[in-house]
Amino acid sequence: MTGTLTLWALIVAIGALNYVSRLSFIALFAKLPMPPLVARALRFVPAAMLTAIIVPAVVFESPGAVALGWTNPKVPAVLVASFVAWRFRSVTGTMASGMLALWFVQWALAALRP
Amino acid sequence: MTPPLIGILPFGVVCGVAAQSIGLSAVEAVGMAMIVFSGAAQILAMQLIAAGAPFGVIVLTCLVVGLRLMMYSAAMAPHLKPLPARWRNLLAFVLTDQAFAAAIQRFRSAAHPGEGASYFLGTGAVLWIAWLVSNVAGYLAGNVIPAAWSLNFIVPLCFLALLVPALEDRPTRIAALASGVAVVVLEPLPMRLSLVCAGLVGVAAGLAAARAARVRAGRAR
Repeated sequence: MTGTLTLWALIVAIGALNYVSRLSFIALFAKLPMPPLVARALRFVPAAMLTAIIVPAVVFESPGAVALGWTNPKVPAVLVASFVAWRFRSVTGTMASGMLALWFVQWALAALRP
Repeated sequence: MTPPLIGILPFGVVCGVAAQSIGLSAVEAVGMAMIVFSGAAQILAMQLIAAGAPFGVIVLTCLVVGLRLMMYSAAMAPHLKPLPARWRNLLAFVLTDQAFAAAIQRFRSAAHPGEGASYFLGTGAVLWIAWLVSNVAGYLAGNVIPAAWSLNFIVPLCFLALLVPALEDRPTRIAALASGVAVVVLEPLPMRLSLVCAGLVGVAAGLAAARAARVRAGRAR
């Protein structure tokens, strides 16, 4: 798995399969009518997938270890950012407030540690 | 399109650093970023290359991690249907987590599909270029940003900002809740199957909640 040619073959194979996944239903439903159940289900894709991406990045300090306590600074930070996102609907504000909250809690935890 | 951009940069830097650390040449690192254009697939592929995994295992793992892209593809399908085939084929290439999250909102609020499509294409093209630049920056400069800054955290924050407007009613909130619980419970699954499985659990929960709401409305009438 070290040859240059094998590596390029690997890159092209992964890229091609990724592209096929991306094109799959766009191409399929351009030709065929969409079943009503699928059409109703699509509305939930953003809510479900975005949550599935966010939650592991917050609650896992290391892969597989759930850390929901206040010693995980990402938990309070994401709560602050969620409030800002909900109240002000500002993407920049959400990211800024979340990072500031994270840094503040990290600093506070370090300062409080005996 | 600024927010998804800010979200993608630290991720690209991480990928570039990983490519440099496992000994890819600069051309290979850039080629991978250009062709694969997916942080999750690139990081996984590089971890597996470094671990000496066989060709088939690496390809299969990246395919499984990319299954969520099929869900995005389905959600985008009705919006892209009115476009010519070559536009659909081009837009499919820039269908990433970030571009999907940003563009799906725009398609819903757009007056006509062309407006959403041009936003999608613009966002996708900028993200692709930013992806290459940040991968190269990470490859050349290494991790110049101290790890203590936890700049990676901006990635979930960016998605959070895009998630909140998607929680528009009770069924969408139930979909998110179910998916969030499922992704933690299913985390031991191999090949990050937890991600796409949690997505499907969330969608199913949303459908069930919407059905229950319709039944209740029917009874009230």
